[in-house]
Amino acid sequence: MTRYILGRLISLIFVLWVVSIITFTLMHSVPGGPFDEGKQRLPPAAKENLLRKYGLDQPIWKQYLKYMWNALHFDFGVPYQVPTTTVTALIAKTWIITAQVGAMTIALAYGFGLLAGLLAAYYQNSWIDNVVTFTAMLGITVPNFVVALWLILIFSVRLKVLPSGGWSEPDHWLIPGVFSKDWIMPVVAYALAPFSLVARYTRSSVVDTIRSDYVRTARAKGLKERTILIRHVLKNALIPMVTALGPEIPNLLTGSIFIEATFRIPGLGKYFVTSTFNRDYPMIMALVLLIATLWGITYLLTDIVYTWIDPRVRLGGSEGSV
Amino acid sequence: MMTKRTWTMLIGMMVAFGLLVTACAPQAAPAPPAEQPAPEEKAPAEEPAAAPEAAEEDAYMTIYGERLPEDAATYDMQIYKVPCDIKGNHITFDFQVAVYQRFCLSDLFQDQLVNLDKDFNVIPASAESWEVSEDGLTWTFHIKPGLQWSDGTPLTAYDWEATYQMIANPEHAWDFAWFYSGVLKNWDEIIAGELPPSELGVKAVDDLTLQITTETPWPPLPAMMQFSFVMQKKALEEHGPLYNSNVETSVSAGPFILDVLEPGKRIELVANPMYKGYRQPRLQRLIAEYRDMSTAFVAFQNYEIDQVGYEWLSPADFEIILSDPVLKENYLRHYGDFRTDYLLFDTYNPPFNDINVRKAFAHAVDREAIVKNVYGEIKAMPAYSMLMPGYPASDTEGKLKEYQKYDCDLAKEYLAKAGYPNGEGFPKLEMWLRNEGPAMQAVFQAVAASISECLNIQIEVSNKDFKVYMDALNAKPTQLQFGAVSYGMDFLDPANLLGIWLSTGRHSWKNDEFDRIVREASSLVGDPEKRKAMFQEAERILVDDVGGVFIAHRWQGDLFQPFIQGDCIREPDSQGIAAWHWGNDWCWGNIYISKDVYNYDTYRGK
Repeated sequence: MTRYILGRLISLIFVLWVVSIITFTLMHSVPGGPFDEGKQRLPPAAKENLLRKYGLDQPIWKQYLKYMWNALHFDFGVPYQVPTTTVTALIAKTWIITAQVGAMTIALAYGFGLLAGLLAAYYQNSWIDNVVTFTAMLGITVPNFVVALWLILIFSVRLKVLPSGGWSEPDHWLIPGVFSKDWIMPVVAYALAPFSLVARYTRSSVVDTIRSDYVRTARAKGLKERTILIRHVLKNALIPMVTALGPEIPNLLTGSIFIEATFRIPGLGKYFVTSTFNRDYPMIMALVLLIATLWGITYLLTDIVYTWIDPRVRLGGSEGSV
Repeated sequence: MMTKRTWTMLIGMMVAFGLLVTACAPQAAPAPPAEQPAPEEKAPAEEPAAAPEAAEEDAYMTIYGERLPEDAATYDMQIYKVPCDIKGNHITFDFQVAVYQRFCLSDLFQDQLVNLDKDFNVIPASAESWEVSEDGLTWTFHIKPGLQWSDGTPLTAYDWEATYQMIANPEHAWDFAWFYSGVLKNWDEIIAGELPPSELGVKAVDDLTLQITTETPWPPLPAMMQFSFVMQKKALEEHGPLYNSNVETSVSAGPFILDVLEPGKRIELVANPMYKGYRQPRLQRLIAEYRDMSTAFVAFQNYEIDQVGYEWLSPADFEIILSDPVLKENYLRHYGDFRTDYLLFDTYNPPFNDINVRKAFAHAVDREAIVKNVYGEIKAMPAYSMLMPGYPASDTEGKLKEYQKYDCDLAKEYLAKAGYPNGEGFPKLEMWLRNEGPAMQAVFQAVAASISECLNIQIEVSNKDFKVYMDALNAKPTQLQFGAVSYGMDFLDPANLLGIWLSTGRHSWKNDEFDRIVREASSLVGDPEKRKAMFQEAERILVDDVGGVFIAHRWQGDLFQPFIQGDCIREPDSQGIAAWHWGNDWCWGNIYISKDVYNYDTYRGK
């Protein structure tokens, strides 16, 4: 197992290296630069000065080597958009907020999604099933920024019970240091789509499992319904869900520009968009590498979770692996 | 009501207490800046009985000892909040650091040499007067005595000298360097690193005299000084150009100083107690709150912000505004930066090297229908030339209309003359857009439809990334065959908006006569009427030779809360337009919150 994990981590480093080359080449081959010529062309000398300022006057391979050398020393440069800080400091500062929203979203979406899916499957074709299926369909089809605006219109503008956005300091929270009203709408809006996904997956895989022979056997043995549901049905239904829902986690943890912008959350989400628009090369590189690392780790963790859910799965060897 | 009254009493008592104890706090909350000087003329209240009256009086007093207008709310309510685009790319408050990366509420930490009045005449700001030498090359600006920075340092001509040397310095790599190219003496050589910045034609003669020398006589120089934002020499030397991006090192010679800077979250400025300039603010605090601008109108309706610019209002928002009497009355329409939307061509290559093709296009755009049905008349007027009526030397009488007016039959004739009868054989075109939002995409779709329906040709509209578009446009030879774009002025002189059509500018169109007249008129000194006539002739050539097809001049505007008052925005200019005009930076010393604010549940006092 340890050997397997080590092997996977080494291959992750290789993946990151390939990703870095592709990203670096791609972003430099897109026209424009971190300067604006929206009004008029810059005089050639002024443009050269700008390129020199950003180190873009060097050949591309030199720029890449320099970047990678610094990156190996955990120096990811200075973001062009916020030159008073470093890429590392900026990501650390903003990601903590995004990750907090993401974690709450995951807890809400996966917790309620699982419960809703389970109930819908158990009471298949009942009104519960219909409500869950309808909500899930709505959650998947309506984009989260639309949901966000609905929430603002209803709860802030009309009912005036929740703030329309913002991210206040802990001492201004509803319960200082514990819970803030600011979290409710962003998390609900953000969680609706993953909730729907989880609910649908849970429902369909539980429906499959609930009809299997071993469940019938368990029932025949006279086990309690709750035990059957949790020990037999849910555990077996989890395997396909881990495959499908695991990769959602890095998405949620890196935030959504729509949610963050709509609710005025000073998180990381906006930088995924603005970095590209503004040709903020150091930030683009850092974000892409961050995402790649998160995905690599998530897949690794997903594989490890398989072995825990299903003892038949063995990692790193041919014996009994699925 | 009880609660409100209790609060009022409490605030009153706090003010009285503050007066008695410190004799320097004119408002109860929020707390004044620490370095606020005690107004000497106000003696501490000697008798406790007189305190409530004094407090009442003081509640309407600014930190400059000026009384607010009669209909104004108390000073503690004089807070003004604007939305700020959370997707913006901002690093500085200073134009002279990076024009395209400025925070919201920027350029309030200094006064320029000049400003503009409501009718766009140049008026004194930091400079009280100026004159030009006989040869038209040297301008001398006399700076008002007694101006100072918030740290008590006097504001002098040496600050301007240092600022201009900084922006010319190749190491600073200023993103607006084209602005002074060919204008300021030695500018281009310094940018190119051939001369040291100390050779720049911007020199302090003494503390209060600044001399600016130009390469050729340049009459619009005072108008260009609208951008003469100044930075403190001392702070530049100690902390570098980004000194204002940090609350600790920020220093201001303008009406406000930096109080809170949390990019992506909020920015707060407070009135600068050391300010001696021409626009002492009535507002005590400005707040910029970051948000997704698609939520700006909702926030406005919820009284969370005090103003929304037209660019953030969707057609659906405008429908609401126009059907609501209060909103409609408070949407103040103005010229903005005299922005014109137009089509541009690569006239060096087929098919647009043929004047007949260009004329066919010019006559095929039904501007009036497009303005009425797609822009909406509140947002634009049909354009037949570059200069929006109201801009200097503009065609206010509509004489140029005939050159590009909508006439589909005439358009077809021109296309046939070019060898494409009824559009036959005409190549399929792609009309590039420069990262336009949905509203402007709809406009240009309509323009493309108008042309293709009239001329029976195929046009595909393609919305490009901003930088991809600009790179293609600016490439020499250009890589942009046919596109739509807009341009707003940089300074108020025809040399600016016609200068961009010179063959050395960003368009691939060349007309020797146009070039000659614009160049000559730009540096013509001493005969404003002749100069105006020359620019008018140049513009006639531009529309006749169809350098571009002009679609619409944008009416811009701002939606204000009804309690935002001030002659600056509420009193009409000579054309009858009441709004916050471009270049009216003096408005920051004029607007205030009226008593009407008490009728609304706003963010103030929460």
